[in-house]
Amino acid sequence: MISKKDFRKINDWLWEIPKTFRSDMRVPARAYVSEKMLEEVFRDESILQLVNTATLPGVVNYVLAMPDMHEGYGFPIGGVAAMRISDGVISPGGVGFDINCGMKLLRSDYAETDLKPHLERLATEVQKEVPSGLGRGRQLKLDISSVNKILEGGAQKLVEQGYGEKDDLENCESNGKFPEADASLVSDRAKNRGRDQVGTLGSGNHFLEIQRVDEIFDEKSAEIFGLFKNQVVIMIHTGSRGLGHQIATDYIRVMIQAMTKYGIRLPDRELAACPINSPEGKRYFSAMSCGANYAWANRQMIAHFVRKAWKQVLGEKALPLKVIYDVAHNIAKIENNLCVHRKGATRAFPPGHPEIPEKYREVGQPVLIPGSMGTASYVLAGQESGKEAFYSTCHGAGRTMSRHAAMKTTRGEEVVRRLKEKGILVKCRSMRGIAEEAPLAYKNIDNVVEVVHRAGLSKKVAKLVPLAVIKGE
Amino acid sequence: MKKYEILEHKADLKIRAFGKDKKELFSNALLGMSESMKAEIKDAGAKRKITVKSIDLPALLVDFLSEALYLSQAHKEVYFDAKFSEFTDTKIEAVLIGQKVERFGEDLKAVTHHDLNISRKNDKLWEATILFDI
Repeated sequence: MISKKDFRKINDWLWEIPKTFRSDMRVPARAYVSEKMLEEVFRDESILQLVNTATLPGVVNYVLAMPDMHEGYGFPIGGVAAMRISDGVISPGGVGFDINCGMKLLRSDYAETDLKPHLERLATEVQKEVPSGLGRGRQLKLDISSVNKILEGGAQKLVEQGYGEKDDLENCESNGKFPEADASLVSDRAKNRGRDQVGTLGSGNHFLEIQRVDEIFDEKSAEIFGLFKNQVVIMIHTGSRGLGHQIATDYIRVMIQAMTKYGIRLPDRELAACPINSPEGKRYFSAMSCGANYAWANRQMIAHFVRKAWKQVLGEKALPLKVIYDVAHNIAKIENNLCVHRKGATRAFPPGHPEIPEKYREVGQPVLIPGSMGTASYVLAGQESGKEAFYSTCHGAGRTMSRHAAMKTTRGEEVVRRLKEKGILVKCRSMRGIAEEAPLAYKNIDNVVEVVHRAGLSKKVAKLVPLAVIKGE
Repeated sequence: MKKYEILEHKADLKIRAFGKDKKELFSNALLGMSESMKAEIKDAGAKRKITVKSIDLPALLVDFLSEALYLSQAHKEVYFDAKFSEFTDTKIEAVLIGQKVERFGEDLKAVTHHDLNISRKNDKLWEATILFDI
């Protein structure tokens, strides 16, 4: 059992398990938490899972857990691990099944008071336009060659086809396209799962919210991001859907079989990994890039349908929705000659970084942190002091209670009633889905964000609160 | 005998399946997974023939369930039983039997190898614990 005594305090927001803790650790394991949170993290397996990731070949400096960590499979959720390209490995489990699950934030030019009379209709139309994809999916079922174009072209392909503006790509991580993508390395099974899911939300914690800017912490950054108090914004949280899940499933299988060939032994099969430079490693990276492109295309398509609903409700002359940013929180990327795995962690590049849009370069990359359903979300900005975390930060609130326990503790109807009392509309097909995602099942987002702010991983720019929640299931 | 039970897990779905032999264990794991998809089923039945080869028994269970999950999602079907025509520790040939689906209530993302445990208790009942990403 791991306990507080196994940790060394580095500062008020950073704690470390030295690599002497277990003989198979190659680097120390670090957790960004407050002292109070540290005591809570032992309630699940997340720290043990983090220690396991410290055994991966080629891992550098230390492995990291963000304050929203919770137990996952293989890697903990909220985990970051960076590997040397020369002798390091890449692990599909370090990205997760939902490749490029991430966030997109759209801003309007309207204040809440302008939109209040239209909110109910807007939420209804958005729900109609953006299906969960768990039923018949979209009416549109793509053929395999169209899926291939999305896998290799990402959001860029959709914008070329008229489903968005050039500006949307400028304001998207990697401009919405990983060039390393090679669709021939993605199985037909994965492509089949993706044929009717472009523009679908999925279920679980995926959601779409119409939100209001509740508080501005940093005026200058907010202005540069185009945010103002009481402004209406729209947040999208989803990923690569069944296509990404199948890519991960396929390549974990490949790597479990290939690992022995490379003499790699790991404490958990779900960490299965191959050298980054091996044929298996390279193929996974190209296939994962396809999954990432599909996710960027998915969020782009959802933004397109949200804009359609926006015009239907507010009229053709309504001021348009602009993209602030789109960022992944489940991905592996080559950065500064390292392969950085982020699973439930967000990239947060600092001011001046060449890979962020020019207009944001003065203040740092926008970071989008969703809260749990019905609670606040945050916009943060990357900081130079985040270098020690490979420029990474948290990704959300983090669960503290299982779905099952949440359902036993509360009822969907009760959650909806409470949200209504706060003036929040909820659109969801299933009351069970609502209960599972009840705010009480999550950590307090304010505490999580406070840690990454104080630790210097990313600074607070704005707090957003929901006006309407639209959930897939 | 219970066919399977749902265990506590903070974020995902953990199932413990039981069986008097390995075939029954695999069938019950399939049932546990399929019922967790909370599907609205249609009247029409569905059958799919599958062949799965893996490096060992735990991997075979994951690959078998992954195959069924793929077929479920690709064809909008759900399978509640499997009839095995071949069953070794590294290979399965089977027919999956189930129903066509109108919509799924839960999006099961994948079957994981994490903490997968297959054992036989007191030389009698087989047990397997499987974690699914949802």
